[in-house]
Amino acid sequence: MTTESQDMQEQAAEEDRARLSEYGALRKGQTGELRLMSRSTYFREAALKNLFLLCAFVAVMGVLLIIAFVGVRGYPIFGLEGFFGFLAGREWNPTDEIFGILPLVYGSFVVMAGALVIGTPLAVGTAIFLSEIASPRIRSVVRPAVELLAGIPSVIYGFFGLMILRPIIGRLTDGLGFGAVTAWLILAIMIVPTIATLAEDALRSIPNGIREASYAMGATTWQTIRKVLVPAAGIGIIDAIILGMGRAIGETMAVLMVVGNAPIFPASVSDPIATLTTQIVMDMPYAAGDHRTALFGMAIVLFVISMFLVAMVRFLSRFQTRLDGR
Amino acid sequence: MTQRPSGPLANRRSHIARVALLFACAALLAVSSGCSSSGAASEELLVTGSTTLLPIAEISGEMFMEQNPEAKILVSGLGSSAGIESVAKGSSDIGTSSRDLKEEEEESLGLVDTPVAYDAIAVIVNPSNPVSALTKEQIRLIFDGTITNWAEVGGEDRSIGLVNRDEASGTREAFYKIVMEKAPFDRSAAVLPGTGQVRAVVAQAPGAVGYISLGFVDDQVKMLDVDGVTPSEATVIDGTYPVQRVLHFFTVGEPDGLAAAFIDFVLSDDVQSGLVQEAGFTPIGRKD
Repeated sequence: MTTESQDMQEQAAEEDRARLSEYGALRKGQTGELRLMSRSTYFREAALKNLFLLCAFVAVMGVLLIIAFVGVRGYPIFGLEGFFGFLAGREWNPTDEIFGILPLVYGSFVVMAGALVIGTPLAVGTAIFLSEIASPRIRSVVRPAVELLAGIPSVIYGFFGLMILRPIIGRLTDGLGFGAVTAWLILAIMIVPTIATLAEDALRSIPNGIREASYAMGATTWQTIRKVLVPAAGIGIIDAIILGMGRAIGETMAVLMVVGNAPIFPASVSDPIATLTTQIVMDMPYAAGDHRTALFGMAIVLFVISMFLVAMVRFLSRFQTRLDGR
Repeated sequence: MTQRPSGPLANRRSHIARVALLFACAALLAVSSGCSSSGAASEELLVTGSTTLLPIAEISGEMFMEQNPEAKILVSGLGSSAGIESVAKGSSDIGTSSRDLKEEEEESLGLVDTPVAYDAIAVIVNPSNPVSALTKEQIRLIFDGTITNWAEVGGEDRSIGLVNRDEASGTREAFYKIVMEKAPFDRSAAVLPGTGQVRAVVAQAPGAVGYISLGFVDDQVKMLDVDGVTPSEATVIDGTYPVQRVLHFFTVGEPDGLAAAFIDFVLSDDVQSGLVQEAGFTPIGRKD
């Protein structure tokens, strides 16, 4: 793409030069026509504009193509199993051609909900600490550490969970240690950076005057945080939590390694469970025919869930602008 | 665009065209030379059948072709039955199979069997588990979820942690046929996507039980005797260890020519103690 645009620029410049030589002494100000910018600049600008348009177009096309592909491949399962037969079927048993994904949807939501319950206080606490309490020096240590958490590949979280956390859970519950609890703990750590950085942004965007006003009224730091800052940043923090939800429900590799992958309703939170994403990964290598279609159907369900989450964030931020405007 | 001047630009254009032509020529040359080198006359050997045997057949095929550049070995995995059928019909030279011939096949097809490896499966538990032997029946009842506590089979009062393999696994398939006798597995078992993971989990969890290919057992885990037989290369070869199957190469009549050379290569120590063992199978003993 870069070479293409360079080519175009060069070509434009050359064309200019050629014209100049052809019509003789054509110097600045002698054209007779009023030009706001030179021709070469104009071409360069146009080329760049189109280049960026192309970039955006590729991203949008990517999304549309994936939606179309997954939709076309997965859609037939709703006809095959029936809409509710697929979504609310209580048994996932591909060997016997029974494709009910309720246990997997249940698994996804159980794993996500637990991770949020543990991870949100941790993350919001971190955000408050970073934006309101920590001295610049401490912040300069803690913030990169939190950001680093986001950069760790999920397979490493999974490996940590499998080799270290799982045996501990196993010992405590007298089992194998596979199950929702282990996934909760791993995912809780994984969603901290997502929630913490966004919540911190929300808190820092509160004008300082509001803090000063609160302190001037005699409020303590805790009172200021609880009664003034957190409510003021409320929607921003909720946005952050929703994006954390998206991360938790979509996470695959780390969860795959610690949940145990039993596509059933487990007897307890320390028994093996499976989620939509992990089941897709487990089954994809050998799935064929209707089974494969069912996996694409599960992808559609995941798509709908994440689109719903994104829509919610957009709705809330619009709501926020309206509040601010008032 | 229409009033494009001649002169320097036109020159530049023809320059580009020349470079493009050069590239096209080079590409054509590369393609044609590639074709001619692979188009040389060669002997072909078609190997069709078991997906379990696919890695062995494929990799040893590549190794064989490296040593014998004039030979060409084409391997495909369509399933054991398809392999037997296609070798019997003459559409392939060697049929690979992870099952024995059925009686009627043995009578009617006239195939010669060359065992190339054993696929023996060891049932493993944590080294701290006092249970050291089970019957095949007990193992089946454990894996179908009927027996849930080690005390029921003479161990400590501890709940059994089932570790199963994913459905893509050939080991699971074999275990399902040999031990489970096609009874369904307990679905609440943990399902792990690899032999190494099963072994690691069983090595750590005191109540766990799982199964892996005999070739992957090490001292982190304890193998159970099945029906009183300790799994080992010897008991696998003499056929007393029950959880095993033989992997076959079938040919029509005694193998000859390239087929014989390839089978000898697969049976050679290099492949047997290297590739076969690495793939998690038990090398075939020299039964002379």
